[in-house]
Amino acid sequence: MTVTLVQGILIALFALIAGIDFWLEGFYIFRPMIVCTVTGFLLGDLRLGIVAGGLTELAFAGLTPVGGTQPPNPIMAGIMTVVIAHTTGHSPATAIGLSLPFSILMQYIILFFYSIFSVFTKKADEFVAKGELRKFGMLVLLPTVIVAFSYAIFSFLSVYGAQALMKSLVNSMPSWLSHGFTIAGGILPAVGFGLLLKSMLKAKYVPYLLLGFTAACFIKFGNLMPVAILGASLAWIEYGRKRRENDIDKKFKDVENHLENVGGEEDGI
Amino acid sequence: MVSKKGKRNTLSTRDITKLGLLSLFNQAGMNYQRMQADGWALAMTPALKKIYAEDKTGLTNAIKANLQFINTNNYIAPLLMGLEVSLEENGEDRSTIDSLRVALFGPIAGIGDAITWFTILPIVAGITASFAKQGSIIGPLAFFVVYFAMFLARVPIAHLGYSAGTHAISKIHENSAIVAHAASVLGCTVIGGLIATYVQINVVTKIQVTASHSISIQKQFFDNIFPNILPLGYTFFLYWLLKKKNANPVTLIILTFLLSILLSWMGVL
Repeated sequence: MTVTLVQGILIALFALIAGIDFWLEGFYIFRPMIVCTVTGFLLGDLRLGIVAGGLTELAFAGLTPVGGTQPPNPIMAGIMTVVIAHTTGHSPATAIGLSLPFSILMQYIILFFYSIFSVFTKKADEFVAKGELRKFGMLVLLPTVIVAFSYAIFSFLSVYGAQALMKSLVNSMPSWLSHGFTIAGGILPAVGFGLLLKSMLKAKYVPYLLLGFTAACFIKFGNLMPVAILGASLAWIEYGRKRRENDIDKKFKDVENHLENVGGEEDGI
Repeated sequence: MVSKKGKRNTLSTRDITKLGLLSLFNQAGMNYQRMQADGWALAMTPALKKIYAEDKTGLTNAIKANLQFINTNNYIAPLLMGLEVSLEENGEDRSTIDSLRVALFGPIAGIGDAITWFTILPIVAGITASFAKQGSIIGPLAFFVVYFAMFLARVPIAHLGYSAGTHAISKIHENSAIVAHAASVLGCTVIGGLIATYVQINVVTKIQVTASHSISIQKQFFDNIFPNILPLGYTFFLYWLLKKKNANPVTLIILTFLLSILLSWMGVL
């Protein structure tokens, strides 16, 4: 199936809005879960969008912009996964892999923006110094506008402009290659989870990781709710335990101080 | 020069609500030179304007001070903003306010990231994705509802910061360590579950014992040791590369693809 000009424009418009949201991290409609669903809807295949949303969201679960780092771009990954699956008839799992070049390219565009937007800071300082607060406000919002239009243009070119090329490229792939992409799509979440663990795993949390893993292996249930409940219970227990520990520590210190004071007085006498 | 502790106006409940909503623009002017500073100052401007009213020099100085480097978690920003305007309103010294902001934004950002990116996102993504993968609209809808509520939470968070005041900071600090610990317990349990559920590695190789009998490596070997042992192993391998070798996530994504394609070509996966 092909993407019509109108669909291309609508997707670009959505990318513009999602791009603003990505920049501000306001409503999280920039996450693949929402981006895929909306793209699927715009292409007339809502179900495909939702399924791709679930897969892509997980692949990107650990790829977070924490501490100013930029992960591969979730908006372009979401849009292109659905578009490629829709136009070539491949499964969303294969399409995730094929969407990656677009996602990484957009990541570098954003990194480039982070650098060049530094040029506005001097002008911003000047406006504030002169008390021209309206101009200052406009200048601070300018990067958001530039980012929004970049998303619109980049996504339109990727979705509408490159579709014929994309289609012939994908259709000429041998089956072992497209199968490889499908497999990679299934393993990809591991990169995200590895990244999450890098930021939060300490030796003392390994038992919880193993508990969650084992529970999920043996509890046969449609979603992860049982594991989340298990985790919440463990967190609750730990919260109470830590608070008691703190209280005891405090009391112990009080007693220690008290004893020291008593000793000092006795020495004085 | 106008005296530092000139008469200052107080903010209304509405002003703080507005501040919480305006904290959305925290990242509007994101750049590498001073990260969120421009957007942060923009969000603070209306509240500062009201506090300083006629004191133009005081206002200029306050905005200038807010244009210094800052990089914090997006849901922590309204907390800090609320706290800061309460200090401005009380006529605290410029240097006291500024050093407090600088001292707080980093450590509290860590807690905010642990809760929003490393706990809430994996849980919400994991549970909603399990619906979405079956094509159910509940997945993306629930995802949207959660993050819309998170956006609205900026308002009470700003009020919390405003009413906390300086004396409460040590208390926040003390309790936040316990909260961060409990959040990590929950997060690690869920990630364990996510690894078991969403990372898919399935070995298709079969060992031909006799002409009519073959052994499936996956079913008769790996699954008999422990289910999902390969996903767990591969995730830990990536974790090790990230943590000990400081690998770049994009490198790991490409590595995953190359391995998948190679093993697909060899007929192993």
